[in-house]
Amino acid sequence: MTTHYLVLSALLFAIGAVGVLLRRNAIVVFMCVELMLNACNLAFVTFARQHGNLDGQLIAFFVMVVAAAEVVIGLAIIVMIFRTRRSASVDDANLLKY
Amino acid sequence: MNGTTIPAPTIEYALLAPMLIVFGAAIVGVLVEAFFPRYLRKSVHVPLTLLALAGAFLMTVLQVVREGVPTTPSAMGAVAVDGPALFIWGLILVLAIVSTLLINDEDQFVAQAAAVPGSADEEEAVRSGYAQTEVYPLLLFSVGGMMLFPASNDLLIMFVALEVLSLPLYLLCGLARRRRLLSQEASVKYFLLGAFSSAFFLYGMALMYGYAGSLDLKAISAALGTVSGQNTLLLAGTAMLGVGLLFKLGAAPFQAWKPDVYQGAPTAVTALMASTVLVSAFGALLRVFWVALGNLDWDWRPVMWGVAILTMVVGAILAITQTDIKRMLAYSSIAHSGFILTGVIATGAFEQNQGALSAILFYLAAYGFTTVGAFAVVTMVRDAGGEAGHLSRWAGLGKRAPILAGIFAFFLLAFAGIPLTSGFFGKYAVFSAAVAGDALPLVVVGVVTSAIAAFFYVRVIVLMFFSEPAADGPTIATPTIGTSAVVALAAAATVVLGVFPQPVLDLAGEAASALFIR
Amino acid sequence: MGETITFWVLAVVSVAAALGLVFSRKAVYSALMLGVVMLSLAVLYAVQDAPFLAAVQIIVYTGAVMMLFLFVLMLVGVDSSDSLVETIRGQRFWAIVAGLGFAALLALAIGNVVFTPAVGVGQVTQAKGGNIPALAEMIFTRHVFAFEVTSALLITAALGAMVLAHRERVRPKATQRDLARARFSGPQPSPLPGPGTYALHNAIDMPALLPDGSVSAKSINRVLARHELEDDFTPTDPEKAAMIREALAKGEAEEREHGVEAEQPIQAKDAVIKEDGQ
Repeated sequence: MTTHYLVLSALLFAIGAVGVLLRRNAIVVFMCVELMLNACNLAFVTFARQHGNLDGQLIAFFVMVVAAAEVVIGLAIIVMIFRTRRSASVDDANLLKY
Repeated sequence: MNGTTIPAPTIEYALLAPMLIVFGAAIVGVLVEAFFPRYLRKSVHVPLTLLALAGAFLMTVLQVVREGVPTTPSAMGAVAVDGPALFIWGLILVLAIVSTLLINDEDQFVAQAAAVPGSADEEEAVRSGYAQTEVYPLLLFSVGGMMLFPASNDLLIMFVALEVLSLPLYLLCGLARRRRLLSQEASVKYFLLGAFSSAFFLYGMALMYGYAGSLDLKAISAALGTVSGQNTLLLAGTAMLGVGLLFKLGAAPFQAWKPDVYQGAPTAVTALMASTVLVSAFGALLRVFWVALGNLDWDWRPVMWGVAILTMVVGAILAITQTDIKRMLAYSSIAHSGFILTGVIATGAFEQNQGALSAILFYLAAYGFTTVGAFAVVTMVRDAGGEAGHLSRWAGLGKRAPILAGIFAFFLLAFAGIPLTSGFFGKYAVFSAAVAGDALPLVVVGVVTSAIAAFFYVRVIVLMFFSEPAADGPTIATPTIGTSAVVALAAAATVVLGVFPQPVLDLAGEAASALFIR
Repeated sequence: MGETITFWVLAVVSVAAALGLVFSRKAVYSALMLGVVMLSLAVLYAVQDAPFLAAVQIIVYTGAVMMLFLFVLMLVGVDSSDSLVETIRGQRFWAIVAGLGFAALLALAIGNVVFTPAVGVGQVTQAKGGNIPALAEMIFTRHVFAFEVTSALLITAALGAMVLAHRERVRPKATQRDLARARFSGPQPSPLPGPGTYALHNAIDMPALLPDGSVSAKSINRVLARHELEDDFTPTDPEKAAMIREALAKGEAEEREHGVEAEQPIQAKDAVIKEDGQ
C-alpha cells in the first residue's frame, strides 16, 4: 500500500508543478503550490506509517503551520498587486453614496 | 490518559543567545509599532535594531572567546552551533548592521504600502511624512531566520528557517518608494518562485525521510551506509533538496528570479539579500551536502559540476548584455555563487574539506562586504525619478564625482578579482582548494569566466571615466552619515582583506578546523 | 480491504480534482477543486492512523486557508479568469512535457523501491497513550525549538498583512457636517436621477430619459456602462447605445476636469515608469 500512496502523492505533486508552469493567474498559481505542499504532506504521513515513527506526522503538522503563514503573506502580496494594476480598490466603489 | 509527564526539554540559552536576541528584538519592534506614536517610531527602531544586531554579534564573539566552540548540537539536537556556524553568524550580523545603516538612511521605503501607487492617498501619505517603519522588525525576523538556516541540524528546522528568512524578504521587496510597480512585481515574482522552490525542498525532505526514517542530518548520514535497496528514493530526494537550496543561491538553472528581484527591490534590501542571504544559503547548502550527504559525494558531485559551470557561464555572459546597473550586479552575484560552488565541490579527505571550507568562508566575507558597498554607491546616484539605474546615465560619472566613481570602480575591480582587492584572495583561496580537490577543469572555467566578467566591469569603469558626462546627468546625493559609513566600511574591508587577508584567513581556517558537528 | 477501496476511490477523486484545479478556466472552480483534494487527503490521513492531522487538515487547510483563498478571489473579482493566450511560444507544450517527465521520474523512483510491510504507528501511539499525546511530547521536547521559531513566522505573517493591507487614515474622517457642506457647495446638491425614469423599465443599467427622450448622462452608472461597452452588451436600439456611449465619454471628461483620478491615468503612468525602468 505504501507505494500506492507515494505514487498518488508524486502524481499530485507533478500536477501542481505543471499548474504552476501553465497558469497565469497569480492566485491559481499559488493554489497549485498549495497542492504541491499537500502532496508532500501525504508523502510524510505515508512514510511515518512505513517507518513506524511519528516524525512524519509531526513534520506534516509543521508544514501546515508554515503553509498558513505563507498563504497570508502571499495573498497579501497578490491583493496588493491586483489593486495597483486594475485599481480594484474597495474605496473606489463609492457608487451607492447618492 | 495514563498520566505520563513530558520531560522538560533543555535549551542552551547562552549558546543560542545571538539568535534569541535578534528574534526578541524583532518582537519588541512589533510592540513599538503598536504602542509608540508615529513620530517616535523611527527613532526607537533604528537604535533598537542596531543594538540588537551588535549585541548578538558581541554574544557570538563572547561565546567563542570564553567557552570555545561547542562540540555537540544544542536545543535538543535541533541546532548545531559549530565553528562554521559561528563564523557565518558573525558575518551575517556585521553585514546586517551595515545594511541597516543603509535601510535607515534615506527614504527608500514607501510611505504607505497599502496606498495604490499614483493615487491621491499616496501623495497625501508622502506629504504627511509617513514611513513604513515595520521594515525594521521584518528585517530582524529575516536576519534571525538567516542565522538559523545554516545552523540547523535537522531538515525540519531548516525548512522552518528557510521560511522565516524568506517571508519577510518577500514583503520587503515590494516596499520600494519609487518605481513601485516594478517593486511590487519583484515581490510577486520572488514570492511565487520562492514558494515553488520551497515545495521542491519539502518533497526532497519527504523522500529523505522516507529513505532514512529520520530528518536528522546525522541520521541521514548514518543511513547512507545501512539502508539498501532504496537508492532511487535517496537520489530523487537529494536532487529535490538541491533544487530548493540552489534556488536560494540563484545558481544556474534557477537564477531567473535574481535579476528581476534585485532590480525591483529597494536597493537597501537588495544589498541585504545579495550579501547575507547568499552567506546563509551557502551555509545551509554545505550542511546538507557535506554533513548529511557527505558520503554520497560521488553521486552529487557530477551534477554540481554542471551546475557550477552553468552558473559561472550564465552569470558572466548575461552580465555583458545588461544595461541596468542593478541587474548587472545581480548577474555578477550569480557568477560569484558559481565561483563559490567550485569550493563546495572540492570535497575529499579531512584536510581537503578544511581547506575548502575556510576558502568558502573567506570568499563569503570578502564578497559580502564588497557587494553591500557597491549597492550603497548605487543608492547615491540619483535621477529625478529615483536612482539612475540605466548604465548610460553613469557615463562620465568620474568627472562629476571622482571619489564616488573611484570607489565604485574599486568595488568592480574587487568583483573581477584584481590583486590587492579582497576578491583576488577570495578567488585564489577557492580555486586553489578546487585544484587540490581534483577539480582543475572547473577552475579553468572559473578563470575564463572571471576574465569575461572582468571585461564587463572594465567597460563600466571606462564608461564612468572616459566618456563625456551627459548634460542632464544624474545628481549625486549628498551622502548622509549612514551611507558614507557603509561605503567607507565596505571599501576599507575590501582593501584590508585584499592587502592583509591573513587574520581573516586564519579566523576562517580556525572556524573550519573542526568542520561541522553532527 | 476497506482501506484499499477507500484509497482507490479517493485517489481517483483527488487526481481528477487536481487536474480540474489546473485546467479549469475560472479561478473559483480551481479553488473548489483544491478544496476537494484537501478533503480527500484528510480522509487518507485518517485512514493512515493520523487522526490529529486529518482534523487539522480539515480545520486549518480546508477551513481557514481555502476560505482565505476564496475570500481573496471574491475581493479581486470572481471573473478574473485566465487569458488562454500563450505569451511564451511553446511554453504550454514544454510545461506539460516537463510535468509528465517529472511525474514519470518520480513514479519510477518510488516504484523501484521495494518497501517492507509498513510498521504502522500503532505501537508508538499506544506507548504514549494516543496519537495526540505522542505528537505533543515530540513537539515539546525534541522539536521544541522549531515550534518556538514558527511563532516568528506567524508574527511575520500578521505584520506583513498589516503592512500591505492596512491603510492608516491620513486626514481626519469627514464628519456629517463636512459632507453636507461639500454636497451643497458642489454642482449637484440633489440626489442623482435614478436609473430607468421615463424609460421602458427600471433596471440599474437602464439610463433615465429626459423629457425630450434623450439619455440623462447623470443617471448612467459609469462602472456598469463601461463593462457593457467592453462586453458589447449595449442596448439593441442603436440610437440609445450611441447616447450611452456619448454620455459615458462626457461623464468621464467631467470627472477628469474635477480632478478625480480615473483608471486610465494610473495605467498610463505605469507604462511610463515601466519604460523608464528597463
